Amino acid sequence: MGGRANAVAAIIAKDVRLFARDRFYLFISILSLVFFGGLFWLLPASVEATAPIGVHLPDLELLLEQRGAPPDALDDGLDQAGEQGLEIVDYSSSRELERAVADGEEVVAGLDFPADFLDRVAGGQPTTVTLLLAGDAPEALRPALAGAVRELAFTIAGEEPPVAVPELEEMVLGVDRSDAPLTMRDQLRPMLVFLVLLMEMFALASLVAVEIAQRTVTAVLVTPARIGDLLAAKTLFGAVLAFGQALLIALVTGALGHALGTVLLALALGAVLATGFGLLAGATGKDFIGIVFVSVVLFIPLMIPAFAVLFPGTPALWIRALPSYGLVEVLLRTSGHGDGLAEVWPHLAALAAWCVAVFGAGTAVLHARLRRM
Amino acid sequence: MASALHTTDLRFVYGDRVAVDGVSFAIAPGEVLGLLGPNGAGKSTTIKMLIGLLRPQAGSIEILGMAMPQQRTAIQSRIGVVFEEKNLYPTLTGRENLAFFARLFGRSDVDLDHLLERVGLATRGRDRVSDYSKGMRQRLTVARALLNRPDVLFLDEPTDGLDPVSARSIRTLIREEAERGVAVLLTTHDMYEADELSDRVAFIDEGRILALEAPEQLKLRHGQRAVRVRYREDGQVKEVAIPLDVAAGGELQALMGREDLLTIHTEEATLEDVFVELAGRRLE
Repeated sequence: MGGRANAVAAIIAKDVRLFARDRFYLFISILSLVFFGGLFWLLPASVEATAPIGVHLPDLELLLEQRGAPPDALDDGLDQAGEQGLEIVDYSSSRELERAVADGEEVVAGLDFPADFLDRVAGGQPTTVTLLLAGDAPEALRPALAGAVRELAFTIAGEEPPVAVPELEEMVLGVDRSDAPLTMRDQLRPMLVFLVLLMEMFALASLVAVEIAQRTVTAVLVTPARIGDLLAAKTLFGAVLAFGQALLIALVTGALGHALGTVLLALALGAVLATGFGLLAGATGKDFIGIVFVSVVLFIPLMIPAFAVLFPGTPALWIRALPSYGLVEVLLRTSGHGDGLAEVWPHLAALAAWCVAVFGAGTAVLHARLRRM
Repeated sequence: MASALHTTDLRFVYGDRVAVDGVSFAIAPGEVLGLLGPNGAGKSTTIKMLIGLLRPQAGSIEILGMAMPQQRTAIQSRIGVVFEEKNLYPTLTGRENLAFFARLFGRSDVDLDHLLERVGLATRGRDRVSDYSKGMRQRLTVARALLNRPDVLFLDEPTDGLDPVSARSIRTLIREEAERGVAVLLTTHDMYEADELSDRVAFIDEGRILALEAPEQLKLRHGQRAVRVRYREDGQVKEVAIPLDVAAGGELQALMGREDLLTIHTEEATLEDVFVELAGRRLE
């Protein structure tokens, strides 16, 4: 074996031994696998969907009153359509309603009534109501909302509907995922995988920081081993450790059932990302408390995309710009929605770019720190 | 004889503080050079440059005929370093620590048991370093420095804070290595140790070498020899030191003739005295 490879192998073997003998990191590694794996199986495997609905009908209540219909006729219509727990949000223009549905933050679907809706229904004229649906709106919303519009029309026209059912146009904004609502398990899966990766980031950071604090690294650097050997060894050790743990939790949570190659690639990139952050935290933290502080500072923003999954709608641009977003999206879309490489490659590309940047920064900062020893 | 280590006009500046300013010296094979000076004098910076942890900002270093840092890897495979701090892996055993560094040197043939025996750790090699006393850890760092059978040894305060038995065993090892032909650079606060081990001593202060000679020569040149006489007078013990250059005079003769004379000793200057004479302040 060449001198460089021999030095790298020696450092990795030593780090494996140090890691295995550190009861704290061994404990949190095993605990995180057991705890997060167990938590996954305790979560509900089915979906219970309730959703806020946006409505645009100018002067709705006034018009209903003029026509002799109760002001809450639309709510009654929705209830009679058999859908409970729907929340009505009024919008003053079609454009606002469309934007709100597309944004997905406030409502997941919308009913856009034409300005002459009541006149035409009362006069027995055909009319068209536009149903706007967010990409991830539950499938059950479509017939419910269509029924609600019909009920509203019946309420306005009297017991016997004088006209045929109003025509309804349907527009899906974004990728249509209405037939595949995510369960809590699906939503939490990326977070669990990412938490395990962050645990390993913390373990690697600590291993690096302890080596610097105890100045064992200076003893290594006066042998024929170079800083590059140290960096290569720490990188390999950290990435393999993080990948192995992420693979285990992915296996336990069923993330490997679809698009295996894509998921493995995402996990590998996630492991490199965690390693980069680990090197960064290890190089900047001076002791255990320092490592905890730096790790938490990195931990919080990295967890945001995984938390954002739990809330309906498309995440804000700044969340999508975070390094961990690509990993979360790939895991969510492959294991949750059954997407493949063709659909998730932009997220993989973004994750890979972040890996290059974070890993580059981590090695550069650690290299600079070691040179100052 | 060609020197094993040769430095010329070494210089290193941290910000606006000059740590090393024009340091030049050479060490022959088998020679022990003691580098003495107070904290912040430039000893550690000089050693860091010599072992390849710092790049000199000016001057040159030649070790075993090779230039540092240009041929750093080749040089580092032939030097041994004992750091002031006991920088060992505490959760590894003593033997595992040595085995790891042996692999870094590419020396899988090292007889670790023999090495552990040399430093008095033969029976504790399979214990974790976290269970070692300070003296045992220091002896293990000495064993680590000898793993690759080095031609040049750098020892930074190798006996600092050790019990007398551990300190003596380490001094014995240093002497054995020097007799094997190893060039040794020793930094220490212990003037007795420097005097005992060093063939030559370099005093360094504020980054500059103030004097570089054999300890005896330094003491002769800068110190003062004396005769110390203790005698009893009026029921009390009195003591007087008479400089040797005047000791042959009447005062000593008169004291020698006293019936109540207790002890008489010759006394020479210490290296501490020499440093005070040269730098105008004490070493600590």
